Amino acid sequence: MNTPRVQEEVGSSTGKLFAPCRAACPVHINVPGYITAIGEGRFTDALETVLERNPLPSVCGRVCLRPCEEGCRRCQLDQPVAIASLKRAAADHGAYPAVLRPRRRPESVAIVGGGPAGLSAAHDLAELGLGVTIFESKPKLGGMLRYGIPNYRLPDEALDRDIDHILEYGIEVETGVKVGTDIAMDELRERFDAVLVTAGLQASRPLPIPGSDLPGVLTALPFLADSACGEDVELAESVIVIGGGNVAMDVARTARRQGAKRVDLICLESAQEMPASDEEIAEAELEGVRIHCSWGPREVLGEDKVMGLRVTRCTSVFDVDKRFSPTFNEDNVQEFYGGTVIFAIGQGADVADLGLPLTQRGAIDVDPLSLTAGSDRCYAAGDVVSGPTKVIDAIAAGKRAAALIYRDLTGVSDIIDELDEEHAVLSKVPDAMGQKLETRRRVEMERVEFYDAVKNFDEVELGYTEYEAAREAQRCLSCTTGARLTREKCAACLTCMRVCPHGAPSGEVGGYLYFDADLCHACGACASQCPAHAIQLEGCNDAELQRRVDRCLFNPELDTTLAFVCGYTPDLLDVIGEKARIISVPCLLRVSEAAVLDALQSGAHRVVFSGCNENMCRFPNAMPLVAARVARIKSLHTEIGMEDAFDVSGEEPAEVAAQGEGVAEGGAAS
Amino acid sequence: MIVVRQKPVEEICSMVARHRNVLLVGCNTCAAVALAGGEKEVDTLIELLKLTMRRKGETTEFSGCVLQRQCEPEFIEHLDDRVYDAILSLGCGAGVALLSESADKPVYPALDTLFIGASQGFASWRAECSACGKCVLGQTAGICPVTRCAKGILNGPCGGVNNGQCELGDRPCAWVEIYDRLETLERPEDFKEIIQPKDNSVKTTYNKLDLSGEGGAR
Repeated sequence: MNTPRVQEEVGSSTGKLFAPCRAACPVHINVPGYITAIGEGRFTDALETVLERNPLPSVCGRVCLRPCEEGCRRCQLDQPVAIASLKRAAADHGAYPAVLRPRRRPESVAIVGGGPAGLSAAHDLAELGLGVTIFESKPKLGGMLRYGIPNYRLPDEALDRDIDHILEYGIEVETGVKVGTDIAMDELRERFDAVLVTAGLQASRPLPIPGSDLPGVLTALPFLADSACGEDVELAESVIVIGGGNVAMDVARTARRQGAKRVDLICLESAQEMPASDEEIAEAELEGVRIHCSWGPREVLGEDKVMGLRVTRCTSVFDVDKRFSPTFNEDNVQEFYGGTVIFAIGQGADVADLGLPLTQRGAIDVDPLSLTAGSDRCYAAGDVVSGPTKVIDAIAAGKRAAALIYRDLTGVSDIIDELDEEHAVLSKVPDAMGQKLETRRRVEMERVEFYDAVKNFDEVELGYTEYEAAREAQRCLSCTTGARLTREKCAACLTCMRVCPHGAPSGEVGGYLYFDADLCHACGACASQCPAHAIQLEGCNDAELQRRVDRCLFNPELDTTLAFVCGYTPDLLDVIGEKARIISVPCLLRVSEAAVLDALQSGAHRVVFSGCNENMCRFPNAMPLVAARVARIKSLHTEIGMEDAFDVSGEEPAEVAAQGEGVAEGGAAS
Repeated sequence: MIVVRQKPVEEICSMVARHRNVLLVGCNTCAAVALAGGEKEVDTLIELLKLTMRRKGETTEFSGCVLQRQCEPEFIEHLDDRVYDAILSLGCGAGVALLSESADKPVYPALDTLFIGASQGFASWRAECSACGKCVLGQTAGICPVTRCAKGILNGPCGGVNNGQCELGDRPCAWVEIYDRLETLERPEDFKEIIQPKDNSVKTTYNKLDLSGEGGAR
């Protein structure tokens, strides 16, 4: 094995260590941080954590393509944690924090295009105090999020929740204004200190094949935009969609909802090569879309209106250098019949009117380091520069542009320096550790049945309940949220080595104790037993718990019971008593003897430990340690004649009854 | 290391009850390692005492701090105890004694000092040495009869041994263990050697050790 990957010490500012999920996210959201909070039922805290890095949590919770989940270390054990769905749960169940507007700086920035890149840049710049105005050609903000992604995947309400929060920073918006036509770039350059173009890819064209100008031939983006605006688009009963990406899937599924009885989707790529995500393909098929792979369109059939499509067999899409260079077997011909043909074969930039330097592909040509396009104070970012990417890539691009603009206008490089800061990444779960961890299946999200889904544009995925979200979050291995050692306090008693189930602490390096972050599961056994308080957990420290206890015990009644509930086994309130105020923790080991005694002085009449029955505990060593702690607390209370002030309730939880209450902080307080 | 254990709360309370502001002082060496005198136990004991005193209607206040080692004057120097009228030490007897010497207020022990011991794994220790001043471990295969034999006899076992167990019933017979280990070390004949009576006056001579100056000549 390599040298242990050492967790940074408390208070040390060097050496960032990211969990693979966080490292894989283009904006490096503190994923373990917000998942931990959800596991404890703290949805607002979770949402605030997401918002630190991503101003569009409600959007990304629904439509992100989730590079984070590919990184999830849980993949080695069973399935990745449903990171995106949990982000949605944070946005669904948490409260967006009130925005404290910063002191306004003199600099101002115009942003051309209110899609994910533009909104993210606007958010970051406004948060830093700059004056921001977004110019949007469409009637509403959101770009492709509103006019490209169908409502059944991303409803307007979900999008507006994020946008409303962003606009609270005091961003001005001019909608229905097309820069280059309604207002000249030069005017923006004059009025603002900087201009950022995040116009996205607005052009969508058919293939130049015979018949592609027939009535009944549509292109993806106008079709999706009209559908998104609630317009009934006239379609034939049989619709042919051309394309193999996610947009093509959206078009096909939207066509079903627009009333098409039969939808045939034709794509060049083989089933394995299709660029659309597996999930989208599966859902499209379940909704009745027939997918025909490895066919290349040759001619739209029909004389004065579309009658069908002639295709030939595509034998390969890419050449040996992986370049797009399709080959066909012209003898293998097939015809599909349908009255509407919709091309969904990629989008292009539509920014010729802006007078900016363009690449051969028609994208804006920027200096890759400064993101400036042509002149000093003009920047461009997002798909209009990079070509089609994921929503989260556009957000990252917007944030990067904002950081660069901020640096260039104010001379302060903190933000861009932080974005560029190097980080180490946790390795795979070592085998010995993996064997001690139980497998647990992902909590499936409830969704509308497919035969009902195609009847309207209502959202298909219904989201997790609070209880389901907490259960799913508890699958997280809590990477990088574990032990941090303050070496000056360490008494070198080796207790941590003796209680850690995975051997994360070791005394071999240089005579001091070290924690190997790869082996830390954040169970908290070490911190709970450390006699010197030299170990704190990144994800849940004593001071944080103290604040939660104080908050929970605000205005106590004479008979208030404070229940510390193991977040992994939310218990029934009627076991504890209806008046119980509840604090969920990942493991009861997080609650020290002192915390229990302190709660009794802060207004709790009685303290209850609840949960933690053996068959549900995910931490290998926790059970005997919790039992020992309970025994100690009981004996201390007996010593001072307060036996009744502390109790344990370990009954098997009835999951149904716990839904919606068992995980809520202070749920039954009122 | 010195192994210690916290006294019953009632006993501690009776000591500190007459004071109004008490400073609890932990020790981050042996007492912390013995899980009885580090910051964690200082915090726990503060909360416990606060709760107990409040229930008794007393208004005594408690604060805490931890010294690296209570048995070193240089560490104690940094202790700021001006506002307190008593100190409760979570150190071993040596710590309590040295704190008492330098403080101008009463110092009380929160712990009982049990023995010099070695770790047996998590939260478990065994007495291994009685600081008798004349070590015989070389003859007894590293098992101290003075400490581990209930009678502390230098030549054993006595007639109370039963199936390898001490007649007290709470421990194995140290002399059986000594024999077994000598056998493992292939020197069972050493067992036949009589250990001469120990000069117990050594114990009283060694009430002080000073290696500075001429004492360093040993």
